[in-house]
Amino acid sequence: MTTISTSTSAFYERSTMDMAALRAEAEKLQGSLSSGQRLSRSSDDPVGASRMRQLSRADSLSTIDTANASRAAGDLQLTDGALSTFAEYVIRVKELATQAANGALTDAQRAGIGQEISAIRDNVIQLANARDMAGGALFGGQSAGDAYSILPGGAAQYDGTSTAPDLPLGDGQTVSPALTGPQFLNFSVNGTPTDLMAAMKAMGDALQAGGAAAQTAAQTGIGAMNQGLDAITTAQTVVGSRLAWLDLTAERRTDLSEMRSTEENDVGGTDIASTVARLQQTMTVLEASQASFTKLASLSLFNLLN
Amino acid sequence: MASDLLSIGRSGALAARVALDVTAQNIANASSEGYVRRSVRLAEVSSSGGIGTIGDVSLSGVRLDRVVRNADLFRQAEVRRTGADAARADAEVAGLENTEVAVEQSGVFNAMVKFEGSLQQLVGDPTSSSLRANVIEDARTMVGTFNIASNALDSVGTGLRFEASDGVSQANTLAQELARVNLRLARAADSTSDQTALLDQRDSLLQQLSAFVDVSTVISPADGTVEVRLGGTAGEKLVSGGSATTLGMTTATNGTITFDVAGVAVAPSGGSLAGKAQALIKLADVHTKLDQIADAMASAVNAAQAAGAALSGAAGQPMFGGNTGTGFTAASLTLSLTDGAGIAAAAAGSPVNSRDASNLNALRGALATSDPTGRMDGLLFDISGTVAGRKVTRDALQTIAGNARVSLAAQAGVDLDGEAANLIRFQQAFQASGKVMQTAKDMFDTLLAIR
Repeated sequence: MTTISTSTSAFYERSTMDMAALRAEAEKLQGSLSSGQRLSRSSDDPVGASRMRQLSRADSLSTIDTANASRAAGDLQLTDGALSTFAEYVIRVKELATQAANGALTDAQRAGIGQEISAIRDNVIQLANARDMAGGALFGGQSAGDAYSILPGGAAQYDGTSTAPDLPLGDGQTVSPALTGPQFLNFSVNGTPTDLMAAMKAMGDALQAGGAAAQTAAQTGIGAMNQGLDAITTAQTVVGSRLAWLDLTAERRTDLSEMRSTEENDVGGTDIASTVARLQQTMTVLEASQASFTKLASLSLFNLLN
Repeated sequence: MASDLLSIGRSGALAARVALDVTAQNIANASSEGYVRRSVRLAEVSSSGGIGTIGDVSLSGVRLDRVVRNADLFRQAEVRRTGADAARADAEVAGLENTEVAVEQSGVFNAMVKFEGSLQQLVGDPTSSSLRANVIEDARTMVGTFNIASNALDSVGTGLRFEASDGVSQANTLAQELARVNLRLARAADSTSDQTALLDQRDSLLQQLSAFVDVSTVISPADGTVEVRLGGTAGEKLVSGGSATTLGMTTATNGTITFDVAGVAVAPSGGSLAGKAQALIKLADVHTKLDQIADAMASAVNAAQAAGAALSGAAGQPMFGGNTGTGFTAASLTLSLTDGAGIAAAAAGSPVNSRDASNLNALRGALATSDPTGRMDGLLFDISGTVAGRKVTRDALQTIAGNARVSLAAQAGVDLDGEAANLIRFQQAFQASGKVMQTAKDMFDTLLAIR
């Protein structure tokens, strides 16, 4: 206001405008203090509000990434446990095969060993049909049913899909939370592809049949079990590194989440100290202008004329 | 000696009485809206000598020359012009703020993010019935928020158009009132209190009219009648002499409004009507963009549904309904898939209960490419940015209009201290004139006392 005036209505109008502006300013500051939010609507700071929306979108998607990652970690731990059990079974079968390869054993003793191997093979098939956390086949890829089925001749057949699904972990990162059966149960002996169940069945059947072939089958079986153990150990390494990768992405997510919180606070939060100071300043000016208004308004020539 | 002391004293007393009346009128109207301070202009009454009486002293006292209205035409025009600008900006910001609230408070953006999130969660376990139900419910919420946003925008538009049509009828009333004032002004005698009151009324009506539309005025120097035009100095005549032309409003199919004077289109650049017209244009733009976003979202999801297989292995059915033929709109959007098992997460040809999520990933890829959520953020930014920018303009225009008002009030308003001083001055003048009459009587008595 630079207009110098002596008109009564101009004086009142000017004072009202000034005090109303100060009051509005004080109320705005008070509002941002009581809500803790600097922005009460987008148009208070369009860029800041847009940033806040992007941050909250990232936050919301990151929560789901975390859920996906913990699901993947659970499945991988299940896989890891199952692989250890597989390895124990293979080691046991290898011991039995070593015993059976001994020429001093009778056919009856070998047949007994063969029965134990067949029983272990049944366990292996059941373990290969284990379920994951969501109830699907752990080693069946994306198949709806069991990973392995037993054909009429007793041979095991893989029914799952060739690959396991990938789970998104955010920022374009993915992890495969499981292995398919063939990825660690299939191997080759002397260039011939086979799988653990087939090798165990061949050895168990031959030992139970007896005769000269039984001892040879036991010797071949030792080699097959060595290959099988190799495949399982390799798979365990893969699972271990995937778990480590999950830890890494989890750390990264936590870091990013912290950064987002900090930024949300910077962009959208109220700076208490400076807001209180500005409120105090506004209040002081408002009080002063109210006091001076009262003084000036009571100054009338009519009071002095008698 | 043609003078008459008694009549000079009487004229002085009368003039002082009139001046006191005017002062009292000023004090009484110190806070009346549109009242312009009056002052009296007095003139001496004297005659020059005639034939044979050259050198005579011929004094006849004082007379009231005229009551002066202390109005400055330029400042009044400034108040009207800046007031019209401020009213336009104010109406526009109010309309835009309502538009912003309609889109922001409907929660469309949050619902879209949730829908995206539930799709992402479904990737983790594509056969889970609870996750599938979650997707359907989030889709339902999203459809609901789109509908709400569209309805809210429609009601903002209805409100703006209602206010605009009310503004048009008020402007017409004011124009007719001005025409009537013009007629009476043409008949009023010069410098009477009747004329000054009419001039006050004329200026007040013009100021009220300028709050609705920006007017350009030509004031006749002869009788004070005003000619009012819309849309610049060469625009259409709204008021001319004693006749007023009707201001009309037409609503287009997209909800925007245009104005005409007796059928000739005019585009007001100021006043609340102009502000509402501008807000409605932005509103129509926002509504179109909202419809496009709803269409992008629904089309992408439905296209992906058609390319995949549901949990039963059958081909996926559309998730969203309400295609108007030219695409989906925010108002027409409905949820047509209500069973979570119908979500086509697996690729086409997959077996029953397949855990394949490749089609779901394709859908997420399509949504990431067309990014309706990002466009929604952009739309919100567009509106809020416009509001923020217009607020700055509005505040500036309001300050300017406030200054113009104060400046007019300073010049045309009543200063009570000044009037108090005038009261004393004219009271003393009255007393002095009384003393003159007393002196005349004394002189007469002196003459009569001669024996």
